[in-house]
Amino acid sequence: MKPSGADNRLVLDGRPSTWAALADRAREARAGGPAGRLAVLADGHTAAFEAVGLHLATGTEMLIAAAARVDEELRAELRAAGFTLVPDDSGPLAAAHGPAGDGAAGHGGEPGRLWILTSGSTGRAKRVPHTLDSLATVGGEQPERTWLCPYSPGTYAWWQVVTLSLAVPGQHVVTVAPDALDAWPELAARHGVTAVSGTPTFWRQTLWRSGDELAALPLRQITLGGEPVDQAVLDRLRATFPAARISWIYASSEVGAAIAVHDGRAGFPVSWLDRDEPGRPRLAVDDGELVVTSGHAADGYGGAVRTGDRVEIVDGRVLITGRRDSDEINVGGTKVSAGMVRSVLLGHDKVRWVRVTGARGPLVGQIVSAEIVADAGVTEAELRTWAADRLADAAVPRRIRLLDAIPMKETLKSDV
Amino acid sequence: MPPEVDERITRDQVRDLMAQVLAHHGHTLPDDDATALRDIGFRSLDFSELALRVEDTIGRELNFDAPELRSISTVADVLDLLVALQDA
Repeated sequence: MKPSGADNRLVLDGRPSTWAALADRAREARAGGPAGRLAVLADGHTAAFEAVGLHLATGTEMLIAAAARVDEELRAELRAAGFTLVPDDSGPLAAAHGPAGDGAAGHGGEPGRLWILTSGSTGRAKRVPHTLDSLATVGGEQPERTWLCPYSPGTYAWWQVVTLSLAVPGQHVVTVAPDALDAWPELAARHGVTAVSGTPTFWRQTLWRSGDELAALPLRQITLGGEPVDQAVLDRLRATFPAARISWIYASSEVGAAIAVHDGRAGFPVSWLDRDEPGRPRLAVDDGELVVTSGHAADGYGGAVRTGDRVEIVDGRVLITGRRDSDEINVGGTKVSAGMVRSVLLGHDKVRWVRVTGARGPLVGQIVSAEIVADAGVTEAELRTWAADRLADAAVPRRIRLLDAIPMKETLKSDV
Repeated sequence: MPPEVDERITRDQVRDLMAQVLAHHGHTLPDDDATALRDIGFRSLDFSELALRVEDTIGRELNFDAPELRSISTVADVLDLLVALQDA
């Protein structure tokens, strides 16, 4: 079936294409039926988009991931699960187009099935089953946009950009390779990008490193997702792009895209909790944890899903502060939210990035430790005073380390 | 993780770090090491911060399983303990 966005413009590592062209090429190269069960370990966006073209043409069961994210142990697990690794086991993607059952492991494959590797931020990466339908969360008429896609191939966020472009006419995509991320505003200007989706770390790094080039872009849509979103980064983006729509999305591979907020504020209104509305996920808080019931959930994840994300309700907003198993720092029996400390530090106008963790502390169990990237001239003492004026004593970072640059992983996250 | 420097720290250096910790919270470290910690507002959190600073300086973690840990009441107790823990 030809997707609605088949003719949308794609710029893959600088080369123009369309979904229709990718699917046609896959169809022409194909020797038989669906190619078993493929794990496409892409060395770049082009290979990953070509794999989507093959899926469109044949329905081949498929997992797509950046090759760098899949270590030898994970490759062995995939083989054991019946996946043929492309290119490791089959050579290039075109060579993997054998008749059904020709895969190295002899797995016939389930037509239409797509697998996502979770980011692994909570431990080992795991496979989550989806389809193009379950991944496509945006439909209907949308303003024409040219999207920059900086996400790592095969991640849930990457699929969000891909399925938006597949499902909605006028949603074009320009990819940016990981090694070109530092200069993405220049690439975006060259290809007429008007919408960008990235993690808060991605945006923070760009504002810090390339603020002038960023401000010159004609962005109409700015999207944040993949990590907790704080008010400071939203405010900075609003100041840079007064007329753009700024959205933050709460999504995970398991529950799908569950929350979309467009009012420029961190968190979502408390009135959205325990609300049953057709077509919208049901949101609830149980023992400080966000619980989501979503129609976009992965197969097998129906019903109420405990997300593992910790929330706090402040001034009528539900703030997602971080992972439940890592957000809480126990300082001598006082529970401190790392996310809340981080939020306060990010409120300093010269602070660009913060990671807050619990460090081992004799007598008190843990003490709050912060790594910070800030403008030149900002001192540890200044940041300590800033925190002390706004936080309870136990929550004030007792160790502050000033870093030279924002650490960002290939997933555009920084484990904050 | 602390830097891989694996140095030793002297009692005077620990004293300097202790003075810095107190200064951050508006207190001054007196010259007399017999001064009680409660008199200068040096609490468990401050001790933990000082211990981290020592660890960062020597490049390794201290072993806090020593029984003396719960019997520190003076400035001298803190300085002696942190110096001794380097060899624990």
